Amino acid sequence: MRTRSLAKIAAIGIAGALALTACSNSSSPSGTGLGGGGSSSNTSNKTYKIGFQGALSGDNQQLGINEINSVNLAVDEANQKGDLGFKLEVLKSDDGGTADKAPAAAALLIQDTAVLGVVGPIFSGPTSATGKTYAAANMGLISPSATNATLTSSGFTTFHRIVPTDGVEGTQAAEWLAKKNKKVFVVDDTSVYGKGVADVVAKTLQGKGVSVTRQGVAATTQDYGAIAQTVTSSGATAMFYGGYDAQAALFAKALTASGFKGLRVTGNGGKSTVFTSGSGAAGNGWYFSCGCQDATTAPEAKAFNDAYTAKYNTPPSTYSPEAYDAANALIDAYKTAVAAGNPTRQSVEDAISKLDYKGITTEVKFASNGEVAQATVNLYEQKDGKIVQLGNILQQS
Amino acid sequence: MTDFMSYLVLGITRGSMYALIALGYTLVYGVLQLINFAHSEVFMSGAFGSYAIVHLLVGDGKGTPAWAVPFVLIAGILSGAITAAAIAWTLERVAYRPLRKRGAPKLAFLISAIGASFFLSQLAGKLFGRLTSNSFPAFWDQNHIIFHLFGAPVRTLQIVIVGSAVVMMLFLDRLVSSTKLGRSIRAVSEDAPTAALMGIDIDKTISRTFIIGGLLGGAAGFLFGLNFSLGNTMGFLPGVKAFAAAVLGGIGNIRGAMIGGLVLGIVENMVPVVHIDTSWTDVVAFVVLVLVLMFRPTGILGERLGRAA
Repeated sequence: MRTRSLAKIAAIGIAGALALTACSNSSSPSGTGLGGGGSSSNTSNKTYKIGFQGALSGDNQQLGINEINSVNLAVDEANQKGDLGFKLEVLKSDDGGTADKAPAAAALLIQDTAVLGVVGPIFSGPTSATGKTYAAANMGLISPSATNATLTSSGFTTFHRIVPTDGVEGTQAAEWLAKKNKKVFVVDDTSVYGKGVADVVAKTLQGKGVSVTRQGVAATTQDYGAIAQTVTSSGATAMFYGGYDAQAALFAKALTASGFKGLRVTGNGGKSTVFTSGSGAAGNGWYFSCGCQDATTAPEAKAFNDAYTAKYNTPPSTYSPEAYDAANALIDAYKTAVAAGNPTRQSVEDAISKLDYKGITTEVKFASNGEVAQATVNLYEQKDGKIVQLGNILQQS
Repeated sequence: MTDFMSYLVLGITRGSMYALIALGYTLVYGVLQLINFAHSEVFMSGAFGSYAIVHLLVGDGKGTPAWAVPFVLIAGILSGAITAAAIAWTLERVAYRPLRKRGAPKLAFLISAIGASFFLSQLAGKLFGRLTSNSFPAFWDQNHIIFHLFGAPVRTLQIVIVGSAVVMMLFLDRLVSSTKLGRSIRAVSEDAPTAALMGIDIDKTISRTFIIGGLLGGAAGFLFGLNFSLGNTMGFLPGVKAFAAAVLGGIGNIRGAMIGGLVLGIVENMVPVVHIDTSWTDVVAFVVLVLVLMFRPTGILGERLGRAA
């Protein structure tokens, strides 16, 4: 067992090293060019690393890929600008999106003394599993997408995130639903995320006098026929599903088959191309609440959108802009720490706490518990097989 | 009443698919007295095989003319059945026959089956990706309501599933009771050494039994994928359920597997009717299974190895 996990870590390490060589190869010509340009070659030789922990393999790797691409882009841009006064590299660490692989992934980043701060962990489960370890190492974390509400009250002193929690998202989604519906069916997938957000939605709705029916369907279910029939027969005018994209897609098909005509809503876990491709036409008309921004339509994100598309040949997707903001905010904190001289993990972490960075999705400024000071929940709708942003959910009718 | 009928229609649809898969377990148990735990992956490979063919025929499904739909469906069923039968045949050759030739203990077959199951599921994951919600191209209006049964809508897809399952089961029933192959399957089930003395080629019979089980499982894979979704892990749950259905009906008993599958599918879909939360579905289904086995330890129709039904 021990040798096997060692081998795994070694494999990740080698993969990381290869990625690094690839990075340095591509950036070295521009680096020497800058040196020749006459900037102080003394400090620009110094290299620091930005850590990234997230799912780069496994079922949910797409989110991780969306995010690491943004981090790489942000770091490349910072290096090319030439006003950093130091060089940056990315050290990525794959946790497969699962809590049991997270400690090894965190150890990889902590062992490298050039890593002063981390973008991630990107999922809530791996964050719970490693928050204490990172805190003990004084390593500052900025997560672009870990949304479980309890993460900022678990003693993870170096954890920050730039997205609203499931609690905030669920409350606002429920308030929007309550505007037009008197009877709502709330279904969850019995997972920590799904049940958490569904609980918040149900509670908020009941607080507003809406009649709520609550049921759970295990996330391993393949046949949603029975629950879809139950939702349709209940006479509810709206349905909220707390769960992830692949299952939501199956549920969408079953709801259409059973002839449900009401509003269909889910949270950030359902908003992805996995849902769109899995549900097909049945997904059209679904709404999504998400504390995230669609970079392909938001005007603030135009430059980012262009650069990302040019570099990766694919438009930025869910949580790409958030990861870009997290990386740029962390680079900003590095700059502050380097300017103060002799940067350490502690000084970077201090700089993160005092950040006030204007990003493309939000103003990156943290409350003392690590929550972002201001967070917007957006409403999305799938139209003709594409998920489009409708805008701030508080302003939707 | 309308609600009740709607759930019943859903239950019969799901039950017919369970029955098709359950037959694969029961047939193999009949001839070898072992549970082929890799049968769930035979089912899964059928779904992928038919997906490849259907995708080849209709592309993304847009603009498929109505007259072509029945042919696409038949091609889907056939390609699923043939792929799965090929996998089942190979499985018997690779994972079971060498053990049988060397007189390995029963436990070794079980381990071999589980190994083959992991192998096939992971292989499909490597080849086709690990998405759990792949779907067939939308080449027809599968939710079109054909008629109402006591107020409950009955849709085209449900008719196709139940209809093709019934046809296949009738065919199987005839095959086992009144053909030469059926007779040798029954003979091997009843007493393999004596059957061999009577001039029946046991290896051939076992091989063909796997192929028949694979044909039915693969067809079910296509129907299942059409109704829900397909992915490399899709076999596990229906596999366990269908195995339970086979036991419920009486393992080794062909008509028992059909009835067991139907009963399990209906029971699962009746859970919301009695106002139990749907997250209790599996609990209720297996409580029913245990209750049935307490009173009829050999299943609804009883173990009747080696007989026509």
